[in-house]
Amino acid sequence: MTPLDRKLFRDLWGLKSQALAVASVMACGLAMMIMARSLILSIETARDNYYRDYRFAQVFAQLKRAPMPLREELAKIPGIGTVQTSIAMMVTLDLPDMAEPAMGLIQSLPEHGELQLNRVHLRRGRMLVGPAGHDELLVSEAFAEAHGLQPGDRIAAILYGRKQTFRIAGIVLSPEYVYEALPGVALPDNRSFGVFWMPYKELATATELYGAFNKVELTLAPGASARAVIAAVDRLLEPYGGRGAYARQDHYSHMRLNDEIRTLTVLSIGFPLVFLSVAAFMVSSVMNRQITMQRGQIAVLKACGFSNRQVGWHYLKFALVIVVVGAGLGVLGGIVLGHRLVDMYHVFFRFPALHFLLDSRVVAIATGLSALAAIAGVWGSVRAAVRLPPAQAMRPEPPASYRPSFLERTAFGRRFPASLRMALRNIERRPLRALLTSVALALATGILVVPNAINDGIDYVLNFQWDLIQRHTVMLSLNEPGPPRALADLRSLPGVVRAEPFRAAAVEFRNGSRTRLINVVGLPSDATLDRVLDSRSRRIALPPHGLVISAKLGEVLGVKPGDPLVMRVLEGRRPQLVVPVAEFCDDFAGVTAYLDMAALNRALGEGDRISGAYLTVADGQWREFLRKIKETPKTRSVVIKAAMRASFRQSTEQLIGVIRMIYLVFATVVAFGIVYNSTRIALSESQRELATLRVIGFTQGEVGAVLADELVLLTLAALPVGLLLGSVFAAGIVTSINTEFVRLPLVFTAANYAYAVMVVALASLLSVVLACRYLNRLDLVGVLKAAE
Amino acid sequence: MSAAPASPGPSTPAAPPEGREPVFHVRGLTKVYGTGEASVTALAGVDLDFFEGELIVLLGASGSGKSTLLNNLGGLDAPTGGSLSYRGWNLGEADEESLTRYRRDRVGFVFQFYNLIPSLTARENVALITEIARDPMPPEEALHLVGLGNRIDHFPAQMSGGEQQRVAIARAIAKRPEVLLCDEPTGALDVHTGITVLEALEHINRELGALTVVITHNAIIAGMSDRVFTLSDGRIVNVRANATRAAVSSLEW
Ligand SMILES: Nc1ncnc2c1ncn2[C@@H]1O[C@H](COP(=O)(O)OP(=O)(O)O)[C@@H](O)[C@H]1O
Ligand SMILES: [Mg+2]
Repeated sequence: MTPLDRKLFRDLWGLKSQALAVASVMACGLAMMIMARSLILSIETARDNYYRDYRFAQVFAQLKRAPMPLREELAKIPGIGTVQTSIAMMVTLDLPDMAEPAMGLIQSLPEHGELQLNRVHLRRGRMLVGPAGHDELLVSEAFAEAHGLQPGDRIAAILYGRKQTFRIAGIVLSPEYVYEALPGVALPDNRSFGVFWMPYKELATATELYGAFNKVELTLAPGASARAVIAAVDRLLEPYGGRGAYARQDHYSHMRLNDEIRTLTVLSIGFPLVFLSVAAFMVSSVMNRQITMQRGQIAVLKACGFSNRQVGWHYLKFALVIVVVGAGLGVLGGIVLGHRLVDMYHVFFRFPALHFLLDSRVVAIATGLSALAAIAGVWGSVRAAVRLPPAQAMRPEPPASYRPSFLERTAFGRRFPASLRMALRNIERRPLRALLTSVALALATGILVVPNAINDGIDYVLNFQWDLIQRHTVMLSLNEPGPPRALADLRSLPGVVRAEPFRAAAVEFRNGSRTRLINVVGLPSDATLDRVLDSRSRRIALPPHGLVISAKLGEVLGVKPGDPLVMRVLEGRRPQLVVPVAEFCDDFAGVTAYLDMAALNRALGEGDRISGAYLTVADGQWREFLRKIKETPKTRSVVIKAAMRASFRQSTEQLIGVIRMIYLVFATVVAFGIVYNSTRIALSESQRELATLRVIGFTQGEVGAVLADELVLLTLAALPVGLLLGSVFAAGIVTSINTEFVRLPLVFTAANYAYAVMVVALASLLSVVLACRYLNRLDLVGVLKAAE
Repeated sequence: MSAAPASPGPSTPAAPPEGREPVFHVRGLTKVYGTGEASVTALAGVDLDFFEGELIVLLGASGSGKSTLLNNLGGLDAPTGGSLSYRGWNLGEADEESLTRYRRDRVGFVFQFYNLIPSLTARENVALITEIARDPMPPEEALHLVGLGNRIDHFPAQMSGGEQQRVAIARAIAKRPEVLLCDEPTGALDVHTGITVLEALEHINRELGALTVVITHNAIIAGMSDRVFTLSDGRIVNVRANATRAAVSSLEW
């Protein structure tokens, strides 16, 4: 090692606490970026492999019922690769470990041979082979795990009104259900919904669909246009109750997966960028201070014949060593956290294999960027120091000139204690330094606001979704739309306090070339159990004509209130009409479209019908109510809000909780790092003056008070700016989490601001204590002698 | 002594034994700091010639321009006017890169406040220079020359002022400089320590034959030199040659 490098390491060692503070801030930014980008890479890789190896289809369609020979017609459509037809049926399950009914989607396996598309991956047990698999089925892993089901266990389902018991042969995964949730339901609940597979013959017989199919999947020939194929499929299926074919990008599980990737992408940029810029700022302030203190040494090096380049490189290396340490810690942290989160993602996204893959490209880019940012931060002062003629650099800096501060000159200010007066003078004498310290403190405050703003946004969404919009206990859908009498039947179920009907229909909205398949929901004008709210949680009364749609849906379709929208109904008599968009509602989870129920029924032209009802059920009769509906053959699905909520607590909230925690811990570390670093720099700049005070007779406490007063003043100035800055950061990050599944509202709570203020105040206090300890140990004479 | 500098500057013939060629040839040298009303004239037209192997003492009151002159000779600062040449090479108008080469290969500096790198030991402070010099002596040898063989692994903070100054001298001579420039090398030292430092300089001037220029406030030190230049207000007001150099130990403080 050359003597100059030795100097580098010894100087860095003397600077270790500050260097470490900077490195940890950088590490937090890098860890977060590497974690998120690696998760994206891991999920994308697992997804692509899964889709390829298990032949995930590219176009999907559901219909009421079509005869088998239609399959040949479908296969003739130009641009189609493989066609697969099957049956899928919603059934009610009766599980011994659940009082309430669960929903199952049973899909058929081909009569001959294996699945051509959307093949299943066997986790445990065995596949169903040939006609031997009588009374046996395969079950999805998410559901099996939620209920502790093993191969060999039995499970009861109500198929077409008949309760049947099946034996579980195997536990499987399917690329169609990487994310397994009842379509249209905003949050997954693997206890109340599962997917099953059984042989075609058995399922078809039980559901009276033998010789027919109600589900189509297909792949496209290379170069074929999905749009043209979808149009052709729709034409063919229309007479058979086709619900509208759609491409992969509208496939529920796929969309949900892509959404997660999009959210991770947002998080991989916003936060880390703020952290890395803070780190660059800190490197720059530490190095500027270091270079100022080493002016004399720089002059000597130059006098001895070191070139500007050698001296400049020496100081850049300081910054680079910090970057290397920060990058090392950051990569390590990113890997550790990434591993931990990948394991948690397994709960939401089921792949045959989801391994943590380190995105080494991002590691290289992020590290490179950090290095560049650090170099940019120190470049200016290195250049200035190197350019100074050595003779000049060796002259000591002129002594500080003091005068009474501005505040002191006011009548009021004369009453200030000596330490405060001194602190004010210090600030006034070096306004730039005071400004930089305040900016750093403001950044620390601001960073702390962001994670809590995200938390509060999520809490608000959950509260909004579950307490403000959904005021019912149960949502019950019927197998087939029923007459108004059906509502009376539901009302007479045990314990039902209130029942409000709804009408739902699968439709395709079209505006020009933009289309979207969705269920339009009709609510009575006096509905209270499922409410339409605007962004300020005020109830929107459904207009007699015209749609109220999610603002996000409006964005997706490119319409605004007042615009007409083509609504093609995909069931019943399949009318097509033009409906104006009356209003937008700002909801946060999923996208919805509402219409007045009477208006929807008129549009559908099937008379006065209901698709189901929202119910509130009295607590005392809850068990009885559940027992009863388990046996009701007419119900297609039962969604219980409390079960949904409990399941959410167990799964999603855990993941979100871990991510929140990571972000909050990182933000706290960064805030501490910034505050500590700024205090150290302030201390270093004023240690001569403080040492002088000690020498002329001030006590340790009095000198400490000068330092503390100065920091308190700067902190007070920084806090409001920091809270404002944090709100701006948070607005940027929170509003960029904007997908069809989740949109976060901007919510700022007093608790959030209080936390930020508290952490910064605590960090300041701790830093002052550390600084005072350092001052007390200081060799006073040494400080005064050292020519700066 | 080595011939003319290979680089930078043009080559000059080796000095003839008689009618010697000067090492530094200075005419009408001026240096003004700042501009306009705030300007300070540090050198107001200096003429001088310094020769091979001489030991020169610069005397003068504080602010008379001694350091400025020395810094200009050493390539630490550039003059504002006049001519300044080193062995026939125009030092006054050299660019940054050749100045760096000049300082690295030919000049040794000793400063009043030692200016050692505090985070490096005595040996490492010297090694810092021997790493980049053209034909250095081992750091240990340089430290022995100044009588510091036993403090090799001490840090500056662990040494007295005189010891630190001798490390600084070792650092300056380890590159076998052609000129050794010392700015008040004893200014911060007591009499006894000052003498050991001056003895070291004297010894090295004889051993290495380097042209040595020493700034001092102390007229008595002048006795040890070949010639004494006195500055006042940026001009040379007196030049005196000593017939014989007095031994440092005989100087009266
Ligand atoms: N970098 C500088 N900027 C402005 N004035 C300077 C600078 N260096 C020296 N001076 C001025 O030039 C004059 C000569 O200084 P100097 O050569 O250091 O004197 P000496 O070494 O004889 O005490 C002084 O008036 C000093 O204030
Ligand atoms: Mg001087």
